[in-house]
Amino acid sequence: MKTLKLNTLPAPTFSWLGVNDIQADVQPFPEEVTFLENGSCTQVTSGGAYEISAQDGNTLDAVMFISPESNAQIKTQVTASSGSAVRLVQIFESPAQTAAGVYAVLADNARFELVQLYLKTADTISEVNTQLEGIKAGFTANIGYLLGGSDRLDINLVARHLGRKTRSEINVKGVLDKNSRKTFKGTIDFVGGCAGASGAESEDTLLIGDKTVNKTVPLILCAEEDVEGSHGASIGRVDENHIFYMQSRGLPEEKIIQLMARSKIAQIISTISDEDLRERLNNTLLRGNDNE
Amino acid sequence: MKEKTIVADIDRSRYDFRFEEDESSFLGSGLTAQIINEISQEKGDPDWMRELRLHSLDIYNKTEMVNWGPSIDELDVDKIITYIRQKSRMNTDWNDVPEDIKKTFENLGIPQAERESLAGVGAQYDSELVYHNVRKEVAQSGVVYTDLENAMHDERYAEMIKSHFMKLVPPTDHKFAALHGAVWSGGSFVYVPKGVRLEIPLQSYFRLNAKGAGQFEHTLIILEEDSYLHFIEGCSAPKYYEAGLHAGCVELYVGKNATLRYSTIENWSKNMYNLNTKRALVSEGGKIEWVSGSFGSHVSYLYPMSILNGEGARAEFTGITFAGEGQNLDTGAKMVHNAPNTSSYMNTKSISKSGGVSTFRSAVVVKENAHGSKSAVSCESLMLDSISRSDTIPAMDIRTKYADIGHEAKIGRISDESVFYLMSRGISEQEARAMIVRGFADNVSKELPLEYAMEMNNLIGLEMQGSIG
Repeated sequence: MKTLKLNTLPAPTFSWLGVNDIQADVQPFPEEVTFLENGSCTQVTSGGAYEISAQDGNTLDAVMFISPESNAQIKTQVTASSGSAVRLVQIFESPAQTAAGVYAVLADNARFELVQLYLKTADTISEVNTQLEGIKAGFTANIGYLLGGSDRLDINLVARHLGRKTRSEINVKGVLDKNSRKTFKGTIDFVGGCAGASGAESEDTLLIGDKTVNKTVPLILCAEEDVEGSHGASIGRVDENHIFYMQSRGLPEEKIIQLMARSKIAQIISTISDEDLRERLNNTLLRGNDNE
Repeated sequence: MKEKTIVADIDRSRYDFRFEEDESSFLGSGLTAQIINEISQEKGDPDWMRELRLHSLDIYNKTEMVNWGPSIDELDVDKIITYIRQKSRMNTDWNDVPEDIKKTFENLGIPQAERESLAGVGAQYDSELVYHNVRKEVAQSGVVYTDLENAMHDERYAEMIKSHFMKLVPPTDHKFAALHGAVWSGGSFVYVPKGVRLEIPLQSYFRLNAKGAGQFEHTLIILEEDSYLHFIEGCSAPKYYEAGLHAGCVELYVGKNATLRYSTIENWSKNMYNLNTKRALVSEGGKIEWVSGSFGSHVSYLYPMSILNGEGARAEFTGITFAGEGQNLDTGAKMVHNAPNTSSYMNTKSISKSGGVSTFRSAVVVKENAHGSKSAVSCESLMLDSISRSDTIPAMDIRTKYADIGHEAKIGRISDESVFYLMSRGISEQEARAMIVRGFADNVSKELPLEYAMEMNNLIGLEMQGSIG
């Protein structure tokens, strides 16, 4: 076990906010690398290193269910060659401390579509770092979290625009219930020379627990004039007008809040291209509703 | 060959004049207990203040340098002259102010502003206030506007100052707050009694003339229930090649249902490190309005904090930052919601050009007890070339589900579509671009007092040159 400084914010801010980095004891992962093939669906129950490599013009789909039973470090390297596309879905249901990282490098016209769902995160530290190196490379991240109990989640996502006319779109939606705590750090970094690049980032967080802690740190770093960057964040409770409308249709408030919470995650699930996986996840979500 | 649009750097000629200092008036550079005791003796501090200075020095020596934000490696605090004796005592008659100092402030237009549009004026030159005056009718209403040192020795205010001074910004806050606690000198004390609404502003102007010196003024404002004040702060210095340091401190106490508008135009020269700390504590139903223009300094760290401590307290921050060549301006605001139904609003604009670095940095903290609170943050950045830099670093820490928090930020350049639209209406390309940049800054400049808004337009000085590339 080693103590590492993880999820370092690319441009640190006020120390008292406690968001600049996170220290954690993590297990080193085995040196052996597992290559994920197109169409693979991998159950990750312990630490490991994974690699996804899409050759010129190819499209590669991979799904990872991440649920280690004890402290684990999981690293996934993504390489998308010219004109290729990688679609990676990661579903976290981690009962143990987990340190996960996705590191992607995109060539000319390559696309990387990442969907991450955090359904249980005892203590999860997750890093996503995408280098948009090639001209017109594109990166989309759709991230959803549904945290309860004493779940802890710290996400540090960086989209680094190096190539001209690169595009990134980061869309985060989630719900915090009971005593859960979440930090989302999202950075769009326009490096000098990435003329014509654009990046957009948004986070929408619903707070339904009485003791939740939500931290949101959306950064735009810009060293290039010819870019368009934006970020938006919305944090709060269920809109009272929505509650009133649905109550007038006979639904109790508790049920309405549950529905609104699940709908946030359902929106992220809807971005998954695999229909079977979508259905399976929606069923899991519905079962969650029924059990509550 | 086409030439790119030139947006001129801020014209500083109005500020870049100076008078020679008599170096025998310098108390020496460096930070030792001996220097601190000398400053304390020079100023006739009461015992509690001397102890606070020495305690602050101790904290300063034990506190690490800031590990985020722009580099301040080139700032050698040990070389900064922390205190300069003044040639004359503080005056309330402009005619009694020494000639060279009088000329300095006349060049800056301060006496004229006092005559035309202010209820009172304070003028600090290097380490000490040299002039303080308040209109008779304002003084008769019970408003106190004087220099902090005199107030501290006046038995009517001594206790009030002791119970408020560096309580909102303790020396433990950060290294430069500790430095301030050790060497502070000058600054204003304002007290507005219950129910008094001062419709015309008070203004303090801080001028640092000496080479390689620091200015460490302390502003303490206390507003009682149902009162109103607009306080204006201006700062400037001539340019030297040696680094100068401004580590002032502003503590504002806004009483129940009171409103304080605090406007600042900071135009330090480009050799200055502006490491200033400003904080307001707002009681039930009270409101703090910050209006801030940051144009000068080599490096700036400036984030006024509003602590919304009573139910229904409100805060607004409106700011503009213009970073040109050789400048790294890190500005923004901090809002802490510490009571139910509080609200905060931030609206900032920043412009970077000629290699300047502009950073918007903010924090919105909503504590567990701040049910029903609302906060909205909007920041926009405009890059005028590709050798400059503009970063946006906001953070939110929300600890109650009964809150509505929104944040939005945009970064970009002057859009070709907007220029095309204006040109299709018969406006030249140069003028179209100038209009867009003026429009970008407009919603901040209209919050400034008129004379400052006009000055800002002059400062930005949108001189278009040649055709557009």
